[in-house]
Amino acid sequence: MSPQIDPITRSVVQHRLSSIVKEMGEAMLRTSYSQILNSSRDFSLGICDTSGRLIAQADHIPVHVGALPWATLAVEARFKEIRPGDVILLNDPYHGGSHLPDLTAFVPIFDRERRLLWTIVRAHQSDIGGATHGGYNPAATEIFQEGLRVPPIKLYEGGRLRDDLLDLLALNIRNPREFRGDLAAMVGAAHLGERRLSRLFSEFGAPVVEAAVETILDAAEAQTRAVVSTWKDGVFHGEAFLDDDGHGRSDIRIAAKVTKSGSDIEVDLSESDPQSTSFVNSSHANMQAAVVMAFAYLIDAEIPKNAGALRPLKVVAKQGTIVWADPGRPVTLCTSHPSNEIVEAIIKAMSASCPDRAMAGWGRRFRIAIQGEDPRSGRNFIWHLFQARPGGGASSGGDGWSSIGEWHTVGGIKFGSIEVAEVRFPLHFRHHEFRAGSGGDGQFRGGLGVALDLVLETAKPALANTAGDGARHGPCGMLGGEDGVPHDYRLISEGRAPRVLKTKEVGIEIRPNDCLEIRSSGGGGWGPPARRSSAARQRDREQGLTQGVAATGQDWR
Amino acid sequence: MTFTIGVDVGGTYTDLVAIDESGKAVFAKSPSTPLDQSVGVMAGLDELARRLKLTRADMLGRTDRVVHGTTVATNALLERKGADVALLTTEGHRDVIEMREGLKGDRYDLRSPPPEPLVPRQRRFGVKERLKPSGDIVTPLDDRSLGDAIDAIRSSNARSVAVCFLHSYLDPVHEITAVERLARELPELSISRSSDVLPQIKEYERVSTTIVNAYVGPLVRHYLANLERRLKEAGFKGNLFIILSHGGMAPVEEASRLAAGTVLSGPAGGVSGARRCADLLGIPDLVPFDMGGTSTDISLVAEGRASLSADGMLAGQRIALRSLDIVSIAAGGGSIASVDSGRTLRVGPESAGSVPGPACYGNGGAAATVTDANVVLGYLDATAFMGGQRPLDSTAAEAAVDRVAASLGLSRLQAAAGITRMINLKMADGIRLMTLRRGVDPRRLALLSFGGAAGLHAAEVARELEIKRIIVPTAASVLSAWGMLTSDLRYEVSRTHYGAGARISTDEVRALFAQLEQQAAGRLRSWFDGPMTIERSAEMRYGEQIFEIDVALDDLDWNATSLVDQIEDRFHRCHEELYTYASRDQEVVFVNARVAAVGEVSRRGQDLRPAPSAHACTPRTTRQAFFGAWREVPVYALDALQPGHAFEGPAIVEAETTTVIIDAGDRVTVNGLGWLDIALG
Repeated sequence: MSPQIDPITRSVVQHRLSSIVKEMGEAMLRTSYSQILNSSRDFSLGICDTSGRLIAQADHIPVHVGALPWATLAVEARFKEIRPGDVILLNDPYHGGSHLPDLTAFVPIFDRERRLLWTIVRAHQSDIGGATHGGYNPAATEIFQEGLRVPPIKLYEGGRLRDDLLDLLALNIRNPREFRGDLAAMVGAAHLGERRLSRLFSEFGAPVVEAAVETILDAAEAQTRAVVSTWKDGVFHGEAFLDDDGHGRSDIRIAAKVTKSGSDIEVDLSESDPQSTSFVNSSHANMQAAVVMAFAYLIDAEIPKNAGALRPLKVVAKQGTIVWADPGRPVTLCTSHPSNEIVEAIIKAMSASCPDRAMAGWGRRFRIAIQGEDPRSGRNFIWHLFQARPGGGASSGGDGWSSIGEWHTVGGIKFGSIEVAEVRFPLHFRHHEFRAGSGGDGQFRGGLGVALDLVLETAKPALANTAGDGARHGPCGMLGGEDGVPHDYRLISEGRAPRVLKTKEVGIEIRPNDCLEIRSSGGGGWGPPARRSSAARQRDREQGLTQGVAATGQDWR
Repeated sequence: MTFTIGVDVGGTYTDLVAIDESGKAVFAKSPSTPLDQSVGVMAGLDELARRLKLTRADMLGRTDRVVHGTTVATNALLERKGADVALLTTEGHRDVIEMREGLKGDRYDLRSPPPEPLVPRQRRFGVKERLKPSGDIVTPLDDRSLGDAIDAIRSSNARSVAVCFLHSYLDPVHEITAVERLARELPELSISRSSDVLPQIKEYERVSTTIVNAYVGPLVRHYLANLERRLKEAGFKGNLFIILSHGGMAPVEEASRLAAGTVLSGPAGGVSGARRCADLLGIPDLVPFDMGGTSTDISLVAEGRASLSADGMLAGQRIALRSLDIVSIAAGGGSIASVDSGRTLRVGPESAGSVPGPACYGNGGAAATVTDANVVLGYLDATAFMGGQRPLDSTAAEAAVDRVAASLGLSRLQAAAGITRMINLKMADGIRLMTLRRGVDPRRLALLSFGGAAGLHAAEVARELEIKRIIVPTAASVLSAWGMLTSDLRYEVSRTHYGAGARISTDEVRALFAQLEQQAAGRLRSWFDGPMTIERSAEMRYGEQIFEIDVALDDLDWNATSLVDQIEDRFHRCHEELYTYASRDQEVVFVNARVAAVGEVSRRGQDLRPAPSAHACTPRTTRQAFFGAWREVPVYALDALQPGHAFEGPAIVEAETTTVIIDAGDRVTVNGLGWLDIALG
């Protein structure tokens, strides 16, 4: 029989669990090597139990979190015997992972002989081998062209590092030194969680902690059901579109049918379009995570995002569709696309059920990676675009945030200093300001995207790849609000016609002193534009936020 | 007889301490006057003089130094009551502050609107000018564009302007030209220049800090000028020094120039006090734990030093000046207990403040607060609160706690104990962040408990962290004001090194530091002619990293040819200590050089006398309080305790403005200073 848990013990254990994952996150941030982790913070932490239930998570990258239970289940399914001191790794989207760049480390937590929990660290690697640097390969037609596949493997066995295995992994990756440093940081953070959980067990006794966890999950479920039951019942439909797959198909549809009844929600994505030949497919775990993300955005921010909060949610999808690809298909883009479209389709559907909670569309991801030689040092460089963040969607709470990110990151990615970028890379950021007029109009206006004029200051031509979406479809307006203005990236090269960049290209030549005119999308507007207050319009005018899509910043007068 | 006087203006009370030549200290507390803090300061000086049995004029006439911690800048930021600021910046880069590098706080709150920046976009003006990251000028400062911007500033009605151009940390020439013309054409305007405020790479930090400086500057200057005048009129002829966020002090003129450096002026005094305690007690590693009515300030003294960091953020504004590492948590005596829809007990962050205050204040507050829980548990003597000047309504406290108990299905006592448990956990969490986050194990540290409310919670907070020792100074409730009198004068400068990817050379290091030292020492000399020391440090990282480590460079052989090797070696060792590994095969990037000139002022004060061997003492009285069960426990008067006295918990120690809970099994010894030294059982 499990011990009785009083509300104070429950509060204490809940608080502890959440401070443990936060502390793991601090350790990751400060010890990791690669820019994508220590600057852009593309990692997440969680604690799951042995049945894959998410017990606690730190607020980092929402699209990671809902996928961790599936990864845990894959680990549990693979190994009969798990011992103290084991560390398990995986990344393969067909073995519990989301996409190859997201590598996940698991440390099992024991109370004496009994195995109870996992501490989990998921981090986006700056490279994972494969055909292109940085993991995104728009040309891929099968997963083998996307990078190194890692099913659940034991990196440590009983506390002993299998360094032969580590050598194998590092050998397949372009920047092995960074990879080893990042991996050490991941394992270290998971071990830090282990240490703190062990102390929690010794203080309260594992049975008390286990029983407290049940009440924590039950409480989150009760909170969530209390919220959901206030929404209108019915069957609701929403859809969103990918621009294209880069392999000839365009307007790929993601369809959500949401059935809301009492305090239960079923999300059915079965009517979404068939899968693609390119990397715009979603893996199963990522599709699950995207649905969780949409749900998490609709309920209250303060409800703990754990397995209890997700109990009212049921997910239905069909294998072979764009949201759940057959084994072997490429999927690298999925954490951004179609994740963003899945979220948007669900929230559109729910706007008929809980209109005050349904926020307008957030930006899409459109990345550029440039490889070239820095004439100042003669060294090769690889630069990833994190500047020119798109705008966030407006909501019943007010205008959207400007320069803030996509549905799947929502302000969790940092773009860093332009001065530092100019010191480190042969780039000149001539202009980097809000893109006037890019936010969707509405009672509340969408956040603004950014206008970036970026001049390449190399001595020799450089090469660029793109990976993203949203150059045709802007983030959706909600409840009468207008869509945000889509992305518009151009390459301006003297003596050549301006060239509009596609969202999925490889091998783009950029010559010295060429300028990339990057215009990122604004967020969607919320509510009819006619309801926007004259004070808000006046303010927009004074601030130069709405007067046409300005190409440069000469608009302050 | 001459005095030095410390004045700490807090949210509720203004604390004052006067120390005479013999080291004898006298304390006073007086209500703060938020509208014009100098009114409360002068009233406090009256009270202090009364306690010294002198007239105010007589006391001030004999005072050679007043050291002051002010919350004028802090409050201006928290309450958004600063000046209307305009920003002059590089064309094409007006939105840096509003972009916040793309970050947003609460990840799952997608329905809160974005924060309002301190400078709205219509007051952010671009001018044609541009430097390269090498410091070379690509676009010379355009006169016409500058003139247009100045016209626009004039018609914007801004009272203060921040000037921040890209890469100005390398060469301030354009900023200086712009500032000179601004000063000529708009002489009434207050001006903050980024290459003066924070000459460092990373534009978001630099522009945000400069804007904060411009925002709080006029208020801080006005207040300090006022205070200086009032003091002078009241007969004060000595020096007025202001505590800065880095814990050092500076004359009024410097605090006015770098007003953004005063945002932690208040709590910084507590850290100085803690450092002095560490020194007096010979306990080099302490966790200063300062709990008041609405917030708790936590810091760290390690090896006798308080750490400085440039990660500061206040009221949503990034302030990248080096400041004491202080974690402020919304947890205090006034923190409100509530029960959410999941029937989970929450305490804070909302606070009842001083108006209406906890239910037991009887000022109309209905919500149960931490103070109410302490009354219910018998820890606070309702009749003797604030020396009996402000008796508490224990019936109101019980009724408020009962409401929380009812929604949790618990007894009154269980709810009250739950409320204190939750607030203690929150504060313990703050200490964990302050220590474990920096790789310091809290278990080997002593907790220094001060501020009005800390004594009630220190024991349980310490137990939560497995801390074994708590120190409670006799000046606990005014420790910040006392601590200010132990601060040194301090002037800091820093500069970014531009290496273009190449390793810094010995000559470059020497030249960089020589220049900074000259600047720092020159400034300090203009304030002070006593003994001066120079502190040097460098911020470095491995090539791929983003977080620099500030490495102290004292005791290096600056003439050695291996200077750069020595510096890099220190970095590797620091990295290993902090993060468990060093990568000696990797390139080390030298980012910022830092120099502080420190002027040591004469210190008066107590010395730790050896305490006589422990002997028992008699409690003043006994009363019922909850220590796991209701017990009749002894109550000791802090004033009556003598060095060498010793007793065991459960017990309560009371002073005029603070109460200390001693748990069962814990043992108190009164040390040579008359302070409580508590060993946890």
